[in-house]
Amino acid sequence: MVEKRNNLKELIIAVASSVLVVVLMAILVMSNTIIIPPAERNRPLASMFLMMTYNWDLKELWSASPEVVTSILWDYRGLDTVYETSVFFLAIIGSIALVRSLKVPNMLPSKYSGMSVIAKTVTKLTLAAIPVIAASIALHGHLTPGGGFQGGSVFAVASLLAIIALGTPFLIARGWSKDKLLTLRTIGLVLIAVIAILVPLIGFLRKDVLSTYIMQNQEKPWAPLGIGYVFNIFGYNILYSGTLFFLNIAEFLAVSAGLSLVFIILGLPTKTIEEGGDIRK
Amino acid sequence: MINASTIIWGYVYTSIIVIIVLTIYGMATRPNIVKKLIMLSILSDTGNLLAVVIGVRSGFIKPPVFPGVTFTNILEPGMEELSKFAEEAVDPLPQVLVVTAIVIGLAVLVFLGYVALLLYRKYGTLDVRLIEVIRKNGGE
Repeated sequence: MVEKRNNLKELIIAVASSVLVVVLMAILVMSNTIIIPPAERNRPLASMFLMMTYNWDLKELWSASPEVVTSILWDYRGLDTVYETSVFFLAIIGSIALVRSLKVPNMLPSKYSGMSVIAKTVTKLTLAAIPVIAASIALHGHLTPGGGFQGGSVFAVASLLAIIALGTPFLIARGWSKDKLLTLRTIGLVLIAVIAILVPLIGFLRKDVLSTYIMQNQEKPWAPLGIGYVFNIFGYNILYSGTLFFLNIAEFLAVSAGLSLVFIILGLPTKTIEEGGDIRK
Repeated sequence: MINASTIIWGYVYTSIIVIIVLTIYGMATRPNIVKKLIMLSILSDTGNLLAVVIGVRSGFIKPPVFPGVTFTNILEPGMEELSKFAEEAVDPLPQVLVVTAIVIGLAVLVFLGYVALLLYRKYGTLDVRLIEVIRKNGGE
C-alpha cells in the first residue's frame, strides 16, 4: 500500500540541497564573512560595539553595562528581541491552544513514579542547585555572560529533569498547575512590554513624552530622560545598567515558566494524552 | 599558504556544510515526522554553531564582557583599557543572534512536537505516506 521509495527523486533532492548549501557558503566566503583561518582582528562593527558599550567618556552612546552581548540584545537591537519574544509567545500559546481540551489530572506521587532510588536521590540533590545557578545567570545578566534567556533555559532543564527522573506527579503535588505557570509566563511577558515603554511612561507622567524613545535605556542629549544606571543603598553603589537588569528578570520569568509548562504537558502519561480531548471520535 | 590552522578550520567548515546538507536531505526524504523534527533541530543547532564559529578569531579568545565589573565594583575604564579589551574580545554580534535563536528554536520545536502529537492521536501513525493514503481513502 505504501509505494516504493523513488531513488531518482531522492537523488535530485540530495544534489539540490548540496548545491544550495555550497552556493550559500560560497557567498559567505566571497563576502569575507567566512575567513579561513579566522582573522586576527575584529570586524569594524564588532570593534565599534566593544568600544561603545561601557565607555564612560561617550555617555551619549553607551548602555552602562560591561556585558556587550546583553547590551546589543536590548539596547542597540531591542526591536529584534521584542519580535523574537513575540515569536516565543506565539509558539507557546499555540502549543497550549492545540491541547486546550487536555486536563492535567490531579496525580499523587507514589513509590513507583519516576526512576530508581539512585536516580531520584541524585536528581533531588541537583534540583536544589540548578535553579540557584539559573537565577544567578539571570540576575548577573548585565555583568557576566548570560542573561534572562539563558537563565530561563537552565531553569527549564531543572523541571525537565524532575519530570523525567521523579515523574510529573512530583511537580503537580507541589502546586505546579497549568494555570499558575501560564499566569507567571504572562506576567513575565507583560513586564517585558512595560519595560519596553518604561521611559516614555515616565515621560508621560512628567508631561514630557515627546523627548523619549520606545525602548530607551540611558539618557541621551536629545532625549534627556532615562532611568539611570547606579543605585545607592546602605552606602554601596549598585550597578544595574538601566532597563537591562529588569529585562533579564522578566525574560527569565517568561522563558522558565513557558518552557516548564510545555514540558509538563508533554510529559503527561500516554493514557491521559490519548483519552483527553475530543479529537478522536 | 597551507598550515595546520587552515586545515583545521577548513575541516570545521566542511563538516558544518556536510551536516547542513544531510539534515536538509533527511527532512525532505524521511517519511516519519519525528525523524523530520530531529533533523530540523540538528539543522537549527548547526546554523547556530556556524554563527558562533564565524565570530571566532585566531589568537585571542576572550568573552565580550569587560572584565572585573561586579554589582559593587564599578570600574571606569579609560580609552586605553577599552581599546585593549576591544582587541582581545571575540565578535559579540553572532552571539547575540544565537542567544535568542536557541530559545525560539526550542519553543518552535515544542510547538511542532504538539502538532505531531495531535497527528498521531488523529491518524494513529506518524508516517506521512500512510497519512496520505488514509486521507485519500476518506478515513479520519
